[in-house]
This record gives sequence, C-alpha cells and structure tokens, in this order.
Amino acid sequence: MESNFDALIIGAGISGMQTANDLADQGLKVLVVEKEPSIGGAMILLSKVFPTLDCASCITTPKMSAVKNHDNITIMTLSHIKSFKREGMLFKVVIHKEPRYVDEVACTGCGKCEYACPVLRSDPFDFNLGVTKAIHLPFKNAIPLAAVLDMDYCIQCGACTRVCPVPDCINYLDEPEDIQITVRTAIQCTGFDLTPMNAKAEYHAEDLENVISPMQMERLLAPHGPYGGILRPSDGNLADSIAFIQCAGSRDETLGIPYCSRVCCMYAIKQAMLLSGILPLADITIYYMDIRTFGKGHDQFYQNAKAMGINFIKAKVAQINAAENGNIKLRIEEIGQNGGLREVEHDLCVLSLGMVPKNTGNNPLHLAIGEDGFVASINPKTSPTLTSESGVFVAGTASGPKDIVDSIIEGSAAAMQASAYLQNLNISEVVQ
Amino acid sequence: MAWRVNPDFLREIKQYGDVNIEECFNCGNCTAICSLSNEDYPFPRRNLRYIQLGLQEKVLESLDPWLCYYCGQCTETCPRGAEPAEAMMTLRRWLIGQYDRSGHGAKLYTSTKATIFAILRYSLVPLLLLIIGHTLSSLGVRGFENLRFVTDKVDLNAFAPTLWVWAVVLIDFGILSFRLFSNIAHMFQLVMKPKENKIPLSIYIQELKTFLDYLLTQRRWRDCKEDNNSRWLKHLILISGYGLMLVLIVGLLWWFQTDNIYPIYHPQRWLGYYATIVLLYSSGEALIGRIKKKEELHKHSHHSDWLFPGFLFVGTLTGILVHIFRYTGLPWPTYILYVLHVMVMIAMLDTEVGIGKWTHIFYRPLAAYFQAVKLRAKEYQDTTAAAPAPASPN
Repeated sequence: MESNFDALIIGAGISGMQTANDLADQGLKVLVVEKEPSIGGAMILLSKVFPTLDCASCITTPKMSAVKNHDNITIMTLSHIKSFKREGMLFKVVIHKEPRYVDEVACTGCGKCEYACPVLRSDPFDFNLGVTKAIHLPFKNAIPLAAVLDMDYCIQCGACTRVCPVPDCINYLDEPEDIQITVRTAIQCTGFDLTPMNAKAEYHAEDLENVISPMQMERLLAPHGPYGGILRPSDGNLADSIAFIQCAGSRDETLGIPYCSRVCCMYAIKQAMLLSGILPLADITIYYMDIRTFGKGHDQFYQNAKAMGINFIKAKVAQINAAENGNIKLRIEEIGQNGGLREVEHDLCVLSLGMVPKNTGNNPLHLAIGEDGFVASINPKTSPTLTSESGVFVAGTASGPKDIVDSIIEGSAAAMQASAYLQNLNISEVVQ
Repeated sequence: MAWRVNPDFLREIKQYGDVNIEECFNCGNCTAICSLSNEDYPFPRRNLRYIQLGLQEKVLESLDPWLCYYCGQCTETCPRGAEPAEAMMTLRRWLIGQYDRSGHGAKLYTSTKATIFAILRYSLVPLLLLIIGHTLSSLGVRGFENLRFVTDKVDLNAFAPTLWVWAVVLIDFGILSFRLFSNIAHMFQLVMKPKENKIPLSIYIQELKTFLDYLLTQRRWRDCKEDNNSRWLKHLILISGYGLMLVLIVGLLWWFQTDNIYPIYHPQRWLGYYATIVLLYSSGEALIGRIKKKEELHKHSHHSDWLFPGFLFVGTLTGILVHIFRYTGLPWPTYILYVLHVMVMIAMLDTEVGIGKWTHIFYRPLAAYFQAVKLRAKEYQDTTAAAPAPASPN
C-alpha cells in the first residue's frame, strides 16, 4: 500500500464519503479510514429520510460505490487512528488495523461461509433485534463486500474454510497491524452516538423490552429489516399502539445534555408516517415538549403528519412503567386547554434519543473540544469546518448534531477548505 | 376572566427563597413524576406557571404548596433545573407571610436583619420581667417578697416562682394563639372564598375527620415514593416529643418546674427524658442536614429554616444543663442557664407560632381538609346539577 496521501478522512459516514469524493474529484489522493467493517456510517442503517421519504440506502449506496471505485480513494476498514503527529508541513499518522480474518481483496462476497457457519450471534447492524453468524457479510450491500469474522464467537470448527471457493481466503491467524502513513491534511468525520437507553432511570428502559431506541425502529421499518414487519420485541405481536417519547435524550439538564439534537422531531414524525403506512389501524402518538421543524420542507412534513391522523400530545413523559402483557404505561401531564395529569398505555414505545459526541476521551487528533463534548470549531459562524489545529478540518455530526443534508453540505465545505489549504501549502512550498 | 401579567411577582417570590422558576418551560415533568399529584389535583407545575405570569391571586388561593412534602423527585428530574420542589418550599414561606395580615411574617422571611431584631426583642421580654421583679422585691414592694436569690442551695421557685412563669407563658400563648387563629381564618377566606362558593356546612363537618386524621398522622406523606417512610416516621416522633414537651411546659409547668427531685420511675422524669432525647436528636439531625446539604430538601436552606431547629437545639441543651446544675446543686449556673433557657423558648414561640415554621402544623392538615371539602363540594354540585329539575307547572 502507498504511504503518502494528500488527505486523510477519518470516518466514512455520509459526510466523510462526501468529503472524500469531493477531494478525490480534484485529483487529490485520499485515504478513508473507517472503524467498522463497511463504509456507510449511520445513514446506511436508516429506512427512509425526512422530509422527502427517499429510501436511505438508495441514496447512500451510490455514494459508497463512488468512494469505492474512485481511483484516487483508498479505503481502510476496521481501522482507527493510533497516533497523529505534525512534522513540518506534514502529518505522520499511525493507523491501527484490526484483523478481519478474511482476505478483503480476495473475498467475493458470495456468502457461502455465512451459510456454513454454525454459530449465531446478535447482529449489531440490526441493533441486536436480529442475528447473524460468527462469520458474515456486514450487510448485504456492504463496501468492501467482504465477510468478516467475529473472533469472540468463532469456535474455529473450519466449516467456513471448507466451503470458501477462494483458497486461503479465511485466515484464523490474521493479526492486527500498525500502518504508518504521511498525509498533508486531515478531516475528522467521526459522527455521533445516541444517548444511552438507560440514561433516564425513571424510564426503566433496561427492564422494559418494548421500549426501543429510534435506530431499532429504523431497522424495523427498513425494507431489509430483521422481522419484515413491525413486531414487538417481547412477544413478536404486531404493534397496535405506538408512542414516541421526544427529548428522551436531549434538552435535559439532568443528563448534562441541555442542547437540542435537531433531528429527533423530524425522525419521529418520519417514523410515525411510515408506521401509519405499514400499520394503517395503529394508534400513533408523539409526546413532545416543542416540535422543532426548522429545515426546508420540515414544517410541511409535520403538518402532513397531523393531517394523516398522528396524535401529537404536548407533554414531557415523566415515567415509563410496565403494564400488563408487556405493555407500557406512561405518566404525563398534558399541557393545554383540556390537559391534565394522566396515565396512558401503549404496546410499543420509542425513546427519541438525542445525539451525543462519539468516543469522548479518545481524541487522537488533539482537537479542541467544546463544552458539549463535540469537536469545537474555531469559527463556528463563518467557517464551521475549521478546528483548533491548522490543516485539520471537521465535518458532519462530529462537530454537533446535524441532519443528513447539513452533514453533506459540511462534508463538501470541509473538502473545499482542505483543498484551499493544500493549494496554499503548495504555494508556500514553492516560495521556500 | 382577564389576567394581567405581572413580572414583579417573581421578583417578590425570589425574596423568599432560592428559586429558579424562570427556567421552567412548562413541560409537565414535575407534575407527572410527583407521587402525590393525581388526576383531580395535579401539581406543582401550575403554581410555577402562575408565578411566571404573576397571577398572585391564583397562588394565594392555592393549596398545592401545603400538599408537597419536598421529596425532591421533581427537582431531580426537571429537564431545565427549574427546581419545582424549592419553588413549593418558597411558596410555603410566602403563603405563611400572606396569611399573616400584620405583615410581620413577611418581614421575618424577607429580612435577616428584621429576624435578628425580632429574636432579640422577644428574648429580652422574660429577662426584663425578671429584672423588674427582682428590683421590686429588693425595694421591698409588697407582693414581690417571694422573689429571692437563694445562693446556698438551688431554689428555682424562689428565683422565678412557677406560677408567675406559668402566667407569663400562658399570656404569651394566648396572644400567639389569637394570632395563629386569625391567620387561619385569613387562610380560610383566601382559599375557600366563602362569599363566592356556597359550600354547605354539612360538608365541612363531614370532612372534619380528614383534618384530624392529617393533623395526627400526616398520612399523605407516606405516599411519597422516595422516602420509604423514614422521614415521615422521624417527623412523627419529633411531633410526639415536641407535643409532650409543650404539654409539660404549658399545661403542667407547676409539676415540671420544681425543686423536688422525683424518683427515676416517676412519669415526670421519664416523660421529660423521652421528650428531651427526641428533641435533641431531631433538631440536631435537621441542623446537620442543613449544614451538609446532601438531600434535595436541604440544598437551599433559607435563613428562616435554621430558626426552628436552632431554637429547639439550643433550648433543649440549656434545659438539660439547668436540669444537671439543679440536680448537682449549683445555684448560680442554674439561674443563669434558666434565664437563657426561658429567653430562647420565648423567642422560639414568638417567632415560630403564628408566623414561622410552627404554623405548618395547622396549615398542612387544613390544606388537606380544604382540598377534601372542595372535592366533596364539587361532587355534591355535580350530583345536584345532574338531578332532573322539578317540572314547571305551566
């Protein structure tokens, strides 16, 4: 592998892929480092996107293919940055690559090993709603389309090696390696995490099986989701009365997350709309403090949802408790003319969790971090992609909660800033 | 009815406690997390809203602050850090001040200086009375010859004759009770609005049992989920000690302040010891809690919150010392500590009964009582309204 690149992109989600494509299109050599076995980020997990209700994978996969097939882009999966040091005008980077146990280039993605493998494990791609084998393709349209072996579950029975059509493709003795490279600029696109499900003790989310995360609901709604329908995790029954609990992980000082995550209102409305298409007779209720639909077309989307018969109740859910038959009881005070305190029952409930910074405490690029824990921009109003390190840029949800559109815009903006930075670097090198 | 927004009201409330009411964005979390709040009587959010809007009259007629026992769950889970529990506490102080028509209560709550002066003023009364009495006695005025300094042995009844002290205590108690009952009458007028709401007297009489029940047991408190009943039980024990001491002093002072030494099995001894231990423990624990500020309810102690446990602690301590010095036969220390003890006790009664912390003994069960009456009256109205009107004879 080459060891000199113009740009290093950390994270291959939607903003990272946009940045990589935009820089590579300008003739720059780009290395994309992704810690998961496939690129695609959070967006490839989604069912559809707001406010257009486009199929998420239909608009993510072309970008993934573009990254994969671009001559100027190199992809490294299962990898993360171990060290990052400035040396003159360059950065010396050590990348740690975890073993895949499968030859990424040789693997044809035929999936025979997955059929043969006898070990089942819960599938993180489906947020543990479904299962895969110990050796498996990350998902059906993964890039690179190569199997990955989870050594924590592998019993080394050899079933996969016997069926694999490519000789020596599966290697149980694969080892992690550190790779040294040199880059001239870097863009951090590491994305976000969701607030933990158990963040609010009074929601008892750990004890209640039918309280699920929004990403689990995305998987249930996705065409290639785990159950092929909206089934309750506890008993597999069709959900009939579904509640969305807004601000379950943001705008809450008790969680230390006072900010608004910007996307939860819209994704909840989107999921509610999709649900009312799949389950036309189900009651769907969104419990909210305020509905914040500020993007283009967002408020119309909200109005449409109301017109479709989705219930919007202004109330912060204070407690979630178990009811009979695995149902869920919410205690709320509805605000408004006919409001008041009451208990309501639902059979499935989605906590609209917020966006929180990823990998707090792990900051190999030594960027300044804001009070909210996200990467700080030195000029948040006029150049939001500039970080405290010159030559290092940030894009997407690594610097704060954003929707897909804003993440893509910021990816392009970061690419533009980075390429301008490289131009200046070239000029100063010539002058010297 | 039209309401006018009054931002000054929040400023007024802020003098009574460390509140954050302006942070509230009315999500309703506090009402829905509260174990005491129910469909018929949701609180505390509505009072925070009233304060934000400055609807003073609505707060004046509200019973909600008296129904809250400050378990702190609403404050712990408030997404805005608006501290609804502290708002309820602050409103209790404000309401005590408002029920007192003289404005004295409000002054004690809003000014530390006024509180200190009031304490000094009240505590000097017994001292002055003793000085006057002994001066008159030394001048040989008739009727005062009973007042004597006996220094070769402890003779408290010569230093401060029991019946005289009793008379002073009873007069003070009479004045304070009058003040308390006029405040209660004012509360009744503000809350029940007898002119507007015609509630049949029979309902008031039927619900009297609620008042007695809550006065004696404070059962509502046990519904607070956070508490596991420990605070309720501690409070009940405190009440038993305090009530006993009050009966011993106000009712049976001639029995209690005596130079006779009763045998240890005599009720005078062990009842007194029980009450003393309870008071010392309860007031000490309350003071330590306020110093440590660990529990939600102790995080924002107002200067008035220190008074009651403070008085109680110092009063009990001086009382114990009087007892010890009397039994060991040291006349001067006995007399000096006795004067101190009486000063503290009178200051406590005068700042707490009628206007201070003491008043909640009546306001809380009364609030539960008024709430029960209101609910019963509403049921009564609903049934009479639902009954078919008599056919008109046209």
